[in-house]
Amino acid sequence: MGKFENKYILITGASKGIGFTLAENLDNLGAKLILHASSEDGINKLTESFANKGHLIFRADFSDPLSLEEAWQSQINQDIKLDGFVNCVGLRSRRPLNLLKPAHVMNILHANVASFIEMCRLVCRKNGFNPGLSIITISSIAAHSGGPGVTAYAASKAATEAAVRCMSKELFKKEVRVNSLVCGQVNTEAYSDLMETKASADDVILERQYLGLGSTQNITDILLFLLGKESCFITGSSIPADGGYLS
Amino acid sequence: MMYCIINDGGDTGYCIVEQLVQLNHEVILIDRKDQLPDSFIKMKSNRFSFYSFDFYQTHLIESELKNILLPGKKINGFVYSAGIGGVRPLALTSTTFVSEMMNANLYAFLEFARLLSKKTRLEIGGSIVAISSVSSIKGLKSKIAYSASKAALDAAIRGMAAELAERKIRVNSIRKGWVEADLKHDFIQDNIALSAQDDHARQLLGTIGTADLAKLVCFLLSDESRFISGTNVLLDGAYTIS
Ligand SMILES: NC(=O)c1ccc[n+]([C@@H]2O[C@H](COP(=O)([O-])OP(=O)(O)OC[C@H]3O[C@@H](n4cnc5c(N)ncnc54)[C@H](OP(=O)(O)O)[C@@H]3O)[C@@H](O)[C@H]2O)c1
Repeated sequence: MGKFENKYILITGASKGIGFTLAENLDNLGAKLILHASSEDGINKLTESFANKGHLIFRADFSDPLSLEEAWQSQINQDIKLDGFVNCVGLRSRRPLNLLKPAHVMNILHANVASFIEMCRLVCRKNGFNPGLSIITISSIAAHSGGPGVTAYAASKAATEAAVRCMSKELFKKEVRVNSLVCGQVNTEAYSDLMETKASADDVILERQYLGLGSTQNITDILLFLLGKESCFITGSSIPADGGYLS
Repeated sequence: MMYCIINDGGDTGYCIVEQLVQLNHEVILIDRKDQLPDSFIKMKSNRFSFYSFDFYQTHLIESELKNILLPGKKINGFVYSAGIGGVRPLALTSTTFVSEMMNANLYAFLEFARLLSKKTRLEIGGSIVAISSVSSIKGLKSKIAYSASKAALDAAIRGMAAELAERKIRVNSIRKGWVEADLKHDFIQDNIALSAQDDHARQLLGTIGTADLAKLVCFLLSDESRFISGTNVLLDGAYTIS
């Protein structure tokens, strides 16, 4: 039997990078998955990889947090009680302050913060989960150390970490744990795209991330620990998975 | 020096204006409330001017600032002491509620920062100060949206500080604990929701005076603090260590 046999686990942002590797791992470990993506390509990729294995797949746009309640309710039935929820959605933003207009900031905050809180609210409704539910959201070292141009992205990640601290204090009574995983640079499609837009091939962040570039499997291993019972004493925290960057 | 204070009827903002005027600076107060408190009406200084509009409607900020800061006028810094509070358990933390909080505590600040930090408006060596809260690093139940908005603010100033350092402009926030000025409004409401009384007792040095907060703001605006940037200064009466 796999470690997560018959456990229901929701992964939002499962079509790429960290979320996809986590989905593959959990599938191997026997979990029943509810997988989310927002684009047609994302949904197609998830369908190809996972639909014939009995996992649920759903589409929702985190830029519109008001639409999530309906999208979620149309997916979920009364038999599904969640044991885990990992949020891997995170819109990137790189803009000098001069161009950081409210509409752009709002879009980033809607997708990265308001939608995460909304998903927590929906997931934590009565009878929607099993005691022991573990919620994890992926944050970034940007929330802790600033760089030029990442103002909106950093703000959104710091906001989710703060929300996690408050929710953990409220939800422990329902036996729900909530944590943030603070990732350094991880080798994903998004990372390759970013490096392509840069003038130099050297990544200055990696000079301080002394364990080198992370793999999605590195991050997944930590996520599996945080989803499992072994971490039952950890809640409300921001856990670095940063190859030493913040130290 | 000339400074701009952005305020939403809070005593903190008024107190900062008073101290800056006393220090012989020129001050422009932009307040959401169009009525100044009585104590202010007495302050007929020609170094003080007052404007009011609803800047939580962020699309208004750009055009209003054009009337307030005429071309050629540059400021040496600004303070954002506006923002809102509010407590709600997760089940009632609707997206609309989160958005309102983000709007007042983050979006409006960023829009002022975007427009006021332009080369034509902010002098080299200028200083930007935002009022944040210990809630940004300490979780309290039912303060999900508020804490998130203040943490976002604290992170945003780091990105801005990195970018604006080129022009020797500094950006900082103050993580404040319970201040006299808040007790009037938020405390009563929060008290009921969170039994904040206990929380208040954890502030070992007692309630922070509004004037003490204003003094720290004036210091961060001044040239004396010229090597402090990208930080979130704690002013919490020893709350976080207790
Ligand atoms: N990669 C890194 O180096 C790194 C470092 C630090 C933190 N992180 C964080 O880790 C998380 C995952 O990053 P990643 O690089 O592995 O993957 P990613 O490329 O950021 O994609 C994650 C997922 O987000 C979904 N998504 C995109 N736009 C969306 C929207 N509007 N609504 C809902 N979902 C949307 C994507 O689905 P579709 O494209 O199918 O819509 C995808 O499944 C993010 O939160 C990121 O900020 C990553």
